Amino acid sequence: MTTTTTTTAPPTLAVPGQLLGPASRYQPGPGTHLHNANLYASLLGHVHITQPAQQPQQRQRAPGPAKRLTKITPAPAPAPTPPAELPTISVAVAEVRSSRVPAAGAGAGAAVASGGGGGERKKREVLPEVGNVVLCRVVRITPRQAVVAILVCGDSVLEAEWQGLIRVQDVRATEKDRVRIYESFRPGDVVRAEVISLGDQANYYLSTTRNELGVVLAVSEAGNTMQPVSWKEFRDPETGAMELRKVAQPQPQ
Amino acid sequence: MADRRRINGPAGATIPPVFDDVSTPKLKSPKTRSRPPNTTRKMYLKTGVTPSASGSAYLEIETSATPGVSGLKLSCSVHGPRSLPRSAPFSPHIVLSTHVKYAPFATKQRRGYLRDPSERDLGIHLEAALRGAIIADRWPKSGVDIIISIVEGDQDRETSLLQGDEVWDMMNALGGCITVAAAALADAGIDCVDTVAGGVAALVQDAGEDSIPTVVVDPIPSEHEKILAACCIAYLPTRDEVTNLWFRGDLPTSDIDLYTSLVEKGIQASKNANRVLVGCLAETIE
Repeated sequence: MTTTTTTTAPPTLAVPGQLLGPASRYQPGPGTHLHNANLYASLLGHVHITQPAQQPQQRQRAPGPAKRLTKITPAPAPAPTPPAELPTISVAVAEVRSSRVPAAGAGAGAAVASGGGGGERKKREVLPEVGNVVLCRVVRITPRQAVVAILVCGDSVLEAEWQGLIRVQDVRATEKDRVRIYESFRPGDVVRAEVISLGDQANYYLSTTRNELGVVLAVSEAGNTMQPVSWKEFRDPETGAMELRKVAQPQPQ
Repeated sequence: MADRRRINGPAGATIPPVFDDVSTPKLKSPKTRSRPPNTTRKMYLKTGVTPSASGSAYLEIETSATPGVSGLKLSCSVHGPRSLPRSAPFSPHIVLSTHVKYAPFATKQRRGYLRDPSERDLGIHLEAALRGAIIADRWPKSGVDIIISIVEGDQDRETSLLQGDEVWDMMNALGGCITVAAAALADAGIDCVDTVAGGVAALVQDAGEDSIPTVVVDPIPSEHEKILAACCIAYLPTRDEVTNLWFRGDLPTSDIDLYTSLVEKGIQASKNANRVLVGCLAETIE
């Protein structure tokens, strides 16, 4: 392990198939792949090494009574870094790229990323993955499901439009049998949701079964942007009319 | 070809008049190879030529009959990853679709606007070569289109129409297609385990009935009396893997090792192309 080839620093530029270093020194990040206990680049671009964050706190669930297990959920994502706390190596086209800074707010993070990468040719296309929080617009509703168009995934705006589906049993975690789609979503609403499955041929399956997930932007029947007033109601500030929605808990910026 | 919607050129060959020019040196005997047997032709590769595509590349290989004149010109564009059409079944990995099309004017025999079976065949070989290099499960539920147009088809203008067998030209074209598609894929940002490049080797018999067949890389059919067998190889250099092997022709049964040496020469040609490819990609990101 102390030969010159393994102790040298990884290259700054990488082409697909280029050796980046042994897997015992780095963790594979985006744009890399693992082969025979070595890390290789799988994209063309600049090599970035991200030092592990200082003990990233496991995100606390919203306070409240512990929920009963009502469904089989995937095991919580494996600890983001193994005990060894290896730096993550990744390959990206853009020279400046804020790689998912957890502390930055969504808006601030996006602004930084677009500002830094503005001069770059283009950003890499991203796909929604299971566990991602996405923003989507409701396209149509039926009694069993709401069909949405996924617009934003994480911090990045998607180029292609992907279709998603929020089924009636995925709208909220409790009293699932009383959920009515038309009391939760209306066409045109902007919804924050989590991807729970790659779904079928056409749709990603989404879920809003957390407090911070649900409708974030809604327009009343009169055409005014409404304000959330409770976990299930929006109010039109001009007419004072109430409309039912599955409201997302407002997030501090 | 019943293509009534477009104004088609004449179906037969149209060879422009070639005037005798005193200044140009007389063509040497066309049946001699102008390079050493293990040297490939010079190659020019550039990425990012099509702004509207996710990734694109352009490849030129010189013809060796008249130096400086291009023999093979390929333009490749990659569109995607994008969502699959609604009719397509669920796919946990990326769906590749490859289109290879000769421009109508690329070869001496004029091509139609629709793809003919040989062009489909090239597309299938190309897809096989690329599928071994792409990390397909990074992009579930998405498809990518790889479109190559052969602008100039590597056919020597001076040779007569009936002389060359088209299949040998197709092999050279496939080798170029693989290299240019790998460059365009890297430009598009699609995960690959390695840069795949194509190379061609052939067993040729030169003039004289009793001459011994020799193995050469990057053969040009017009430079050899007869091509006995040829193979086109797509090769991953860091993995040391072959993703596609297309072999055609008859080998003399007397020499068992001939097949192996032919494949080895094909790999060598592919490594040469790969050097150009890596150099071009490194230039792209700088």
